[in-house]
Amino acid sequence: MSDEAQAYKQAYSREKAARLEAEQLLDDKSRELFLKNQQLEASNKQLKEQHSALMRSEKMATLGTLSAGVAHEINNPLAFVYSNLGSLNGYVASYQKLLQLAQSWQDNEQLSASQTEQLRQLIETEDLAFISEDIIGLLADSQEGLDRMKDIVQNLRRFAHSQETGWEDVNLIEGLESTLKILNSQLKNTVIVDKHFEALPPVPGKANELNQTFLNIIVNACHAMKDTERPQLRIETGVAGNEVLIKITDNGCGMEEEVIQSLFDPFFTTKPVGEGTGMGMSISYSIIKDHQGRLQVASKPGIGTRFDIYLPLERNENTVSDSF
Amino acid sequence: MKGVIFNILEEMVIDKCGMMAWNDILDTLGQDGIYTAGKSYPDDKLFALVGEVSARLELPPETVVGAFGEFLFDQLARRYPVFLETQPTLKGFLKSIDSVIHVEVRKLYESPDLPSIICHEPDDHTLVMEYRSPRQLCLLAEGLIRGAASRYNEPIEMTHPVCTHQGADHCDLIIRFNGQTA
Repeated sequence: MSDEAQAYKQAYSREKAARLEAEQLLDDKSRELFLKNQQLEASNKQLKEQHSALMRSEKMATLGTLSAGVAHEINNPLAFVYSNLGSLNGYVASYQKLLQLAQSWQDNEQLSASQTEQLRQLIETEDLAFISEDIIGLLADSQEGLDRMKDIVQNLRRFAHSQETGWEDVNLIEGLESTLKILNSQLKNTVIVDKHFEALPPVPGKANELNQTFLNIIVNACHAMKDTERPQLRIETGVAGNEVLIKITDNGCGMEEEVIQSLFDPFFTTKPVGEGTGMGMSISYSIIKDHQGRLQVASKPGIGTRFDIYLPLERNENTVSDSF
Repeated sequence: MKGVIFNILEEMVIDKCGMMAWNDILDTLGQDGIYTAGKSYPDDKLFALVGEVSARLELPPETVVGAFGEFLFDQLARRYPVFLETQPTLKGFLKSIDSVIHVEVRKLYESPDLPSIICHEPDDHTLVMEYRSPRQLCLLAEGLIRGAASRYNEPIEMTHPVCTHQGADHCDLIIRFNGQTA
C-alpha cells in the first residue's frame, strides 16, 4: 500500500471513530432529553391538576360567600312576609265572618229594602262571593311558595355554613345501612345493591349530615340508573392510610365532562325544572369539606359513575372552621 | 431499519472482504452508502445489500444473515456495553431484551418498529423466545442469540421448530443451555 493510501486509511479510521463518538453523544443527549421531557410532562400534568383543584376550591369559596349573602338578604324579608302571611290568614277569616254575617242578614230579610239593595250591589260590584272563595286558595299557594323559599334559603345556608357543634364518633356503616333502609322502597326489586363493607373505625363527624350525603349520592345514582337494564349499585368501604374511603358506584347513564365540572355548583341540575333544586350535590360537597374530607367523582357516559368519599380518622382542630 | 445496522454491515463487509468489495457492492446497487446510526432507511436497501453480499460470497442469504447477526451482536455490545454489564447470565440477558433494551431503544428513537419478544421457560435449562416481526428477520435473531452466547461464553443449542417462513404467525426460538450457569 502506498504511503498516501496508508494516510487515507488512517484518516478514515479517525473519521469513523469520530462518527461513533458523535453518535454516542447524540444517544446520550437524546436519552437525557427523553427523561427531561418525561419529567416535564409529569410536572405539567400535576400543575394542571393542581390548577383545576385550586380553581374549583376558589369557585366553591366564592359560591359559599355568595350563597351566605343571598341567603341572609332573602331571609330577612322572608321572615316578615312569613309572619305577615300568618296574620293575614287570621285577618281574612275575620273579614269572611263579617261577609257571612251580612249575607245571612240579607238572606233572612233582616235589613231594610234599600240596605239589602246596597249590600247586593256592593257584593256584586266587588265580586265579593268569588273573592271569598279565591282568597283561601291564594293564601294557601302563597304559603306553599314561602315554604319552598324557606327550604331554598335553608339549603343555601347549609351549603355556606356548618355549625361547629354536634361532633361525635360516627359509625359510617350504620349510616350507610340506615340510608339504604330509608331508600328501600326505591331500591327494592329494581336495583341490585352490592355491599362490600370492610369494618371501619369510628370517624369524627355529624351522623345526620353524612347520612344526608350518602342519601344524595344514592338517590342521584338511582335516577341515573332508571334506564339501565340491570341497575347495580356497588358500595364499598375501606381504610386507606389515615382516612376511610367509601366508594359508591353505579352503572347508570354517567356524566359528560361539562356536567362533572358543574356537579358541585349550587342550583346546578340536569333534572327538569321543578324536579330537583340542584342543591343536593353542592351540600354534599360542603358537608364532606366541612368534615375535612374529600369528595371525588369519576364518570363515563354510558358506563356509570363512582363517588369516592374520603374522611379523615382524626379531625384537625387547628384548621379554620370555615366550611371552605 | 436504523442506520446503525447498515453501518455494522458495512464494517463486516470491509472487515471480511475489504473496502473495494463494499464500494463495488454500493456501485452495483446504486446506493450512496451514507447511513447515520439514528436515522431510519428502507428495509429494501438492507435486504438488497445482504443479497449482493451473499451473491458475491456464493453463500445462501440465510447463512449471510445468520453470520451478520453474530457480528452485529458483537458490535452492538461494544457500542452499548451497559446492557451486558447489568445482566450476569446469558438467560437473564435474553429475557431482558424486550423489557429493558427495547424500552431504552424507544427512548432514543421514535417508532423504531421493534420486534416483539415474549419469553417463557418450560424448565430451568430451556428458554423459549416467541419472536414476532413483520420483517421476519428470525434468522438475524438467531445470529444475534449465537453472538450473545459466544459473548457470554455459554454453550447453547438452538432450535427453530415454529417459523413464519413456514406459515406460522410467529417464530419459536428454543434455546437449551448446556452450561451450569443457565
